[in-house]
Amino acid sequence: MRHQIKAALLSATMLVALPAAVRAQDAIFAVTAREVGAPSYNPITATKLNSANSLIFDRLLLQDADQSFHGLLATSWESSPDGMQWTFKLKPGVKFHNGEPFNARVIEWWVPKFAGTENAYTVEAIQRVEVIDDLTVRFHMKQPDPNLLFNLASSFMGIPAPKAYDALGDKFGVAEAIGTGPFKMEKFTVGQQTVLVRNDDYKWGSDLSQNKGPAKIKRLTVREIAEDSTAFLELKTGGIDMVYTVPTDFLPRLQAEKNIKVMTIPGTEIVYMPINTSVAPFTDIKVREAVALAVNQKEILNTLYGGAGAEAHGFLISSLEEAKVDPKYQIGYNPDRARALLDEAGWKVGPNGIRAKDGAPLQVKLWTQNGTEFKRVTEVVQAQLKAIGVQADITVFDASTINAQYKKRTEHQLAVRGYSWTNADILDWFFSAKRLGYPNVSMLDDPQAEALNDIAMNKSKTWDERVKNFRAYHEYILSRFAFAPIYEPANSFAFNTKKLTFPTAIRGTRLTSQSIIDVAVNN
Amino acid sequence: MLDYILRRLLFLVPVFFAVSFIIFMIIHLVPGDPIDHILQVGSTAEQRAAFTARYGLDKPLLAQYGIWLTKLAAGDLGEAIILRQPVTDLILQNLPHSLTLGSLALVFSTFVGIAAGAIAALNRNGWTDRSVMTVILFGSTVPSFWLGLLLILLFAVQLEWLPVSGARSAASLVLPVLTVGLGGVALIARVTRAAMLDIARRDFILMLHAKGLSPWRIHLRHVLRHAMLPVVTILGLRIGWILGGAVTIEYVFARPGLGSLLITSLGQRDYPVVQGCLLMLAIAVMLGTLLGDIVQAAMDPRIREGAR
Repeated sequence: MRHQIKAALLSATMLVALPAAVRAQDAIFAVTAREVGAPSYNPITATKLNSANSLIFDRLLLQDADQSFHGLLATSWESSPDGMQWTFKLKPGVKFHNGEPFNARVIEWWVPKFAGTENAYTVEAIQRVEVIDDLTVRFHMKQPDPNLLFNLASSFMGIPAPKAYDALGDKFGVAEAIGTGPFKMEKFTVGQQTVLVRNDDYKWGSDLSQNKGPAKIKRLTVREIAEDSTAFLELKTGGIDMVYTVPTDFLPRLQAEKNIKVMTIPGTEIVYMPINTSVAPFTDIKVREAVALAVNQKEILNTLYGGAGAEAHGFLISSLEEAKVDPKYQIGYNPDRARALLDEAGWKVGPNGIRAKDGAPLQVKLWTQNGTEFKRVTEVVQAQLKAIGVQADITVFDASTINAQYKKRTEHQLAVRGYSWTNADILDWFFSAKRLGYPNVSMLDDPQAEALNDIAMNKSKTWDERVKNFRAYHEYILSRFAFAPIYEPANSFAFNTKKLTFPTAIRGTRLTSQSIIDVAVNN
Repeated sequence: MLDYILRRLLFLVPVFFAVSFIIFMIIHLVPGDPIDHILQVGSTAEQRAAFTARYGLDKPLLAQYGIWLTKLAAGDLGEAIILRQPVTDLILQNLPHSLTLGSLALVFSTFVGIAAGAIAALNRNGWTDRSVMTVILFGSTVPSFWLGLLLILLFAVQLEWLPVSGARSAASLVLPVLTVGLGGVALIARVTRAAMLDIARRDFILMLHAKGLSPWRIHLRHVLRHAMLPVVTILGLRIGWILGGAVTIEYVFARPGLGSLLITSLGQRDYPVVQGCLLMLAIAVMLGTLLGDIVQAAMDPRIREGAR
């Protein structure tokens, strides 16, 4: 009996101690709220993928933070002068985790697989795929698509192994996920964790990586932790070694930790305040301009975010060429002009400091969504609006409810919201008259804006032409004061310096495989 | 007895239909739309319409309810819109985790609650009674979400005895069980205390005192035993909460389970998953209540007689 008790206690101790022992040679990363719950690793059909996807699947191209493109499975590419053909040379010697070879036939099989899926738009401009030779493939286009390279570099363009994909059907990406990436999927528990093991055959890393392969980490577990506080405490206590996205709230606390280093890469987000141009008093462009100029971006950056990130003065992230508009279109803090504009519009300051016109106070609705950061920014914006005599009443919604409310079109006036995207076509998504209510929360329905949208979206033949056209569209939207830019968050991640060594420079638009294969486990 | 059980089971049928209708309507009437979470930047109105039709969301609500109910009769809870898996599979993957956590928490809260209630009753109005009941009152009023974080700070961060979160070892169950369990201790302790004090005043207990039995023997063998009747009723209800009581706790401790699945799916308005999870929770409460009633009836024949 005594032996049985001893054995039971020993087993229980081992069960508790096992993870610590195993971790000596492994690494544990965590993704947080935004990435939790990705249902599968099927890049063709998925609408949500987490960061582990890039470790399993390689793409033809990668995009760097400066928006330049770099070959991963492609070595070179060129477009015909009319933009109707794109020819890609593929990397030799690449094979999938199950031994299938990667070649031009794979691309010929892969592109049509998108038909009818939620991601079909990524390749919809491609008419057909022609195999030139084993390592050369040509896309014949329906129309020129200068955005093709951006689409091919998106995380949904990871290339799966054809035989495994067809054999597994709906189970692909859940039971097994086979790509050519630096890690093989060993086990995936939806909403919990993905266990990855190193692909020892990997030797085709891009020029964004110092290490071309194999990865330095032997076994990598990517946990999903929805609650930020829990992720922070796990990192602090060594339960995890790296957290992909650090909420700005936690930056000071993490920076104070001795064994934790926070690294920042250029952000992919913009926080802004859409202004409903279709409802009073914002049908008057002077009032729109006034509230846009009342937002003090510098104060928000410094007081709320401790200077981490950047002020936003346009709608696009600053690394995009289309963000570089003529300075006269940039929207920035100018309270004197804001007050003058409201005076001109007939809104006079009342005895309580709130402006009024024809006996009606300048009282507006300011919506936001739940989440500490959104609420804090909204409260500061509320105070900044009050400083020019606008009373803004805050209402907080959850993310799904607020979108439903926007769709009513006339219920909202101002809102604080954000988006994450690295392409100028986001302007079409949020300002096209085809999508009034939501996503076009600003309800901008302007013939000139639509004409500029059409040119930028459909008439651009080359990348440079597209940049020029989107910049003109961007400038026009700025001139209509359909929103107020607020903040461009930095993308911060944090890791345990005792456990991991990260490369000094993180390349790419996000922390993905090109940097992870350079990460070493300290012994 | 069998007659009593059958009648109770029959009574559950209309309750089940009412609950299923309420669950279905509530989630569909909450503003929001799963299609918003599917559509990618650049999607067109036609694509939205196509996805809405693909998932049957373009049909009238009552028609959608009818389809769901028909499938339900065949044991099919439908396919998750966002998670793209059969809801039954998702529930079966997560149910064992919730059952383990909930059962252990129930066992913990039952033993600690009965012990605390008995100690308080035996020391009625003394400092022990007041101390025990104050601590218990604190435990019942602290939000479990916050209590969970406090326990993590103490046992995982400061003392480094236990892991912060996850489901990677048996040790990772300790803090979630404590958090969920402590919430249930208060109720069981208060019911135990009140029932024991009530029984202690009964004539047969006075007679036992008069016969010269030791007070400990009287309280433990007679008072506590008779006081268990209301405790069992409460336990029946708590059995139902085995699944529902840990919804937010699973989220805080990053554990798999119906709670985590429900919260994630609710945020994405993944209707079939939310409906499936809520239905499971409702069934658990119904069966728990039924079990409580049956045990109560078995312990006290007056109840089953009275039900006739």
